[in-house]
Amino acid sequence: MPALAVGTDGSARVKKALDVELFFQQLINGLSLGALYALIAVGYTVVYGIVQLINFAHGEIFMIGAFGSFATWVIVGKPTDWGLGMTLGVLLPVMLLGGIAASVTVAVMMERFAYRPLRGAPRLAPLISAIGVSVFLQEAVRLFFGWIPGMPDAKSAIPYPTLTGVSDGSIQIGGVTVQASAIFTLVALAVCTVFLWYFVNRTKTGRAMIATSQDPDTARLMGINVDRVIVAAFAVGAALAAVAGVAHGLRYGNIDFRMGFLAGLKAFTAAVLGGIGNIYGAVVGGLVLGVTEALASNYLGTTAWKDVWAFILLILVLVFRPQGLLGSKAVDRA
Amino acid sequence: MSSDAVNPAAVAQLPASGVPILDARSVTMQFGGLRAVNDVSLQVHTGEIVGLIGPNGAGKTTFFNCLTGLYKPTSGSVQFVGDQLPPKPRLAVRAGMARTFQNIRLFHNMTAIENVMVGMYVRTQTNALDAVFRLPRHRREERESLERARELLAFVGLTGSGDQLSRNLPYGDQRRLEIARALATEPKLLLLDEPTAGMNPQETRQAEELIFKIRDLGLAVLVIEHDMRFIFNLCDRVVCLVRGEVLVEGPPAVVQNDPRVIEAYIGMPADSSSDDSGQTPSVGGDDNA
Amino acid sequence: MNAIIPSEHKIRFRFVGRGTGITAAVLMIASIMLPWAYTGAALDDVSYWASPSPLQIYFAILAGLLLVLLAVPLVGKERLGKYAKLVAWNSAAKVAAVTSTVMAAVALISIALELGGLINVMIGAWLALGGAVLSIIATRYLPDSPEPRLEDVASPRWLQILAVAVIMAAGLFAAATALGYDDAGSFLTFAAFLAGVILVLKSFGFFDWLSIAGAANNRVLVLSAFAVAFAFPFTQNGSDANMSIASQVLIFAATALGLNIVVGLVGLLDLGYIAFLGAGAFTAAILSESAYSTVNWHPPFIVTVLISGTVAATLGLIIGAPTLRVSGDYLAIVTLAFGEIFRITMINLDGNDGPNLTHGSNGIPAIPDLNFLGFDFGVSHVILGVDIGRFANYYWLMLILLAIIIVVFTNLNHSRIGRGWVAIREDELAAEAMGVNTFLLKLLAFAGGAFLAGLAGAVKAHHDVSVTPDQYIFLESAFLLSAVVLGGMGTVLGVLIGATILKLLPEKLRFFSDYRLLAFGLLMVIMMRFRPEGIIADRRRALEFHDKNEELAEEVEEELITHHAHLNPDPKGFEL
Repeated sequence: MPALAVGTDGSARVKKALDVELFFQQLINGLSLGALYALIAVGYTVVYGIVQLINFAHGEIFMIGAFGSFATWVIVGKPTDWGLGMTLGVLLPVMLLGGIAASVTVAVMMERFAYRPLRGAPRLAPLISAIGVSVFLQEAVRLFFGWIPGMPDAKSAIPYPTLTGVSDGSIQIGGVTVQASAIFTLVALAVCTVFLWYFVNRTKTGRAMIATSQDPDTARLMGINVDRVIVAAFAVGAALAAVAGVAHGLRYGNIDFRMGFLAGLKAFTAAVLGGIGNIYGAVVGGLVLGVTEALASNYLGTTAWKDVWAFILLILVLVFRPQGLLGSKAVDRA
Repeated sequence: MSSDAVNPAAVAQLPASGVPILDARSVTMQFGGLRAVNDVSLQVHTGEIVGLIGPNGAGKTTFFNCLTGLYKPTSGSVQFVGDQLPPKPRLAVRAGMARTFQNIRLFHNMTAIENVMVGMYVRTQTNALDAVFRLPRHRREERESLERARELLAFVGLTGSGDQLSRNLPYGDQRRLEIARALATEPKLLLLDEPTAGMNPQETRQAEELIFKIRDLGLAVLVIEHDMRFIFNLCDRVVCLVRGEVLVEGPPAVVQNDPRVIEAYIGMPADSSSDDSGQTPSVGGDDNA
Repeated sequence: MNAIIPSEHKIRFRFVGRGTGITAAVLMIASIMLPWAYTGAALDDVSYWASPSPLQIYFAILAGLLLVLLAVPLVGKERLGKYAKLVAWNSAAKVAAVTSTVMAAVALISIALELGGLINVMIGAWLALGGAVLSIIATRYLPDSPEPRLEDVASPRWLQILAVAVIMAAGLFAAATALGYDDAGSFLTFAAFLAGVILVLKSFGFFDWLSIAGAANNRVLVLSAFAVAFAFPFTQNGSDANMSIASQVLIFAATALGLNIVVGLVGLLDLGYIAFLGAGAFTAAILSESAYSTVNWHPPFIVTVLISGTVAATLGLIIGAPTLRVSGDYLAIVTLAFGEIFRITMINLDGNDGPNLTHGSNGIPAIPDLNFLGFDFGVSHVILGVDIGRFANYYWLMLILLAIIIVVFTNLNHSRIGRGWVAIREDELAAEAMGVNTFLLKLLAFAGGAFLAGLAGAVKAHHDVSVTPDQYIFLESAFLLSAVVLGGMGTVLGVLIGATILKLLPEKLRFFSDYRLLAFGLLMVIMMRFRPEGIIADRRRALEFHDKNEELAEEVEEELITHHAHLNPDPKGFEL
């Protein structure tokens, strides 16, 4: 079972009393979990907005990002190596860049070889291709990650490095414990959202993306290179997923070749919840899903059923609210 | 039958008798702030051909969609054969209403005969058990459907094209096939959405003859069309929609000369007598929903 | 491929090409008289002089085909008459040259790998490979033949029936032989031989002719296919290992066919299909007389199997009724979520997190064998002097179930309901506007497919002896889907072939089993890219995937009309 568990860290689970502190504890846990979902969900929604494709393999891009950052750490930051002296302020950005590089590379190649040739094919074709990519990437990491010199075998979970100050510290605010990794995730989400806003509204590629999502044919006639825009959409989604991959590693302390499956599904739920195709909706959807999951698993039943609740929520959203909570972009999936 | 036999003026004198088969009252369709169809009432009787004209965006196709159950009107009622029309396309078909589409929507990778047999779905009863066990009902219905589909193809003039894939048929034949498919549902009222769009004059004339033949079977026909000469030749009664409202309703001769209609089509004289090419200037464009 | 050699060269050198090709073919045939390997440990011992092993003889058969294809046109166009044009002699020879090279290369590599180095490869194998490569070069210099039109040859009925029977017998022989090879090298070499023969016959135009012959003698074809499948256990001399593989293939194929109704016929992507197999298996296990069964009611199997199907179908209705309104991509995600809910629920019904029904992740072990009217599936029976073991019994049971599923599939497909499904796939809105009850038809496919999977699951529970939740993970659904995609969506034969390939390869190629899922993930991507209609293409499906290919559309139409000319207009399907 991938370790995307609901935040049960800290001392919050000592008693299930309905007190204010516990509520805020779960709220914080939920928000940081939701930030993780939100970072992944943006990838689904950006790609969907432009090519109307559910990139089923996006969860695997998140996983690749986590493994990429881990590999970067092994090369530059592992204490036994020469990178011993690297300070946190340098190491963390370098790991993020390593993860982003890995996931963006894989995502761009995936778009090029698995999806682009299928544009215009019946909807079933890219969907099946996406499932193929998803299985392929999981298996490729499981089988071949250990073949890279210096890397551990990835057939079972790999412990993720502990970064002093980012993944092991915590702050006490009243009776509420806020893990440093939660702060990292929330800050990362905030930074990424600002970056997204800037990218979409202030850059040429971003505006081309908006134009393409509204009318690809006209965009093409206006001289926009639609192929490049689509690649950019995959790349942006992959970059954010890689940030989420690092956040996941820091939060749970290990990474696993299967971690993308469940996280991807939940992030997809978040994307639909926020109205698929709506970038900020994905952020809101992620946070709502995270908080709901944290509160629900605290107040309802045992943890054994929590994934079932998440899936039931997914089904309910898809069936009754396919246009999302915000309902901003009508989606005709008929 | 030739189109000369039906003089618009002569038909106009025919009384529209009996209970109307379709009785739409004050149909209004609102999309957000846009009122696409506003308080439109229309009656169609058996054996009658009614034309629906209007410039682009007048709400003709939207009104069609309200009649066929694709949209549920915001207000107003649609009575079909005396009953409230069910708000589902499938049930409207069952009640006896069939349509064609403005942009042909055949099942492209099926043969002509299979397309027509899909139209018979609603009039056949074979269930899964009949089909799996090849029970007598399945065999009988398959045999009858095949025979009837051949007849219908012959009726619309597609004898011998049964085994052709519908995507390979010429454009005009695809329109005919769509009509055959609609007829296969055994309708009482046939709704045709721009049946001559993209046709050459000869094909248009053939379409006209076909529609008369259908009327003579005892069906009511409601036609949306831009080709003025075609519509004024064909119809017993013409309704002109402008901006979602009924502008004029009456016999072709009356509507044709109504100054308001001419104004609605400004720059496009709705005049069918002076044109010798056989091709009336039609108000171009396609979508008017 | 054809562009390499300029066409004027093809004209000028055609006699040289043919002559060299014939020489090469003779060399290849001669090579089997020489030793291929230094010791006998590889490829069933190919180390003798003048004493060819079966695999060497197969190679000679392929080379012999090449020889015949090259030699026959030498008699001249006049004497060949219409067969000069109806048969693609040169194209088939080119294919034969390429496939015999592949076979020789596979054999050579297997020898080298199994004996530890190229040094162990003897003169014969090099001669075989050299001859084959030479034949490729030589046949490149032959002009291309026009498309074969062998199906235009009017053939007497006895010949058609004979051909069907021979093909069936050859299929039985091939299946028995392929299963008989235990080492990867021999298996792959034989597989290369089979693929070679099939490709040569295909380029020759034989299968076009056979499909007409088969369609004209539909009943003979179907009956002989089942007779052959039924006779298969007799070729195994009581080998339970092979029959175990064969029965697993059948279970897998039956489930894939059920999925094919949903995916292939209606075009709904169901990613949780394995859950229905699981529902059937768990139901059967719980109702079985296993000591770990959690219910105190043990009906006879005939009742259990129906209950299993019904439980699965009910689940299909529960999940389908609300979700089939959301169409397309969302349905795929919903079914996937449902599959996971099923698996987690089966784990949680362990008495701790829920009522005890399944013993959680341990599942229900020790499910007893079936017993039909005194016929115990668990013990061996001697029939016609051949030992028929436990797995052979289950094989036969699954064969009957598979036959039922094929009949359901085919008869539904060729009916009012099947036409409705195609219409939904093509244009759901137009179908609805033409009066087709799209929701009901989709639900029927969904629940019907689930029912069939439930039946298969019930047999699987007894076959596997134990049922655990981890057999029903998402990857298994993806694996089933890849069988459908590989074989050909919407076809029976294709899915049978796809399921056989996907289940047989990992069993026979042990070194490969760890890479199984990797390869199948890649396979799905490649198939979607290059041949989305699968190995055996459903004509209509092929058109849908190649929407802009007008040439294909005309070809298909021609085929339809030819078929009609050859057949009585009798509707297709099986009489019961």
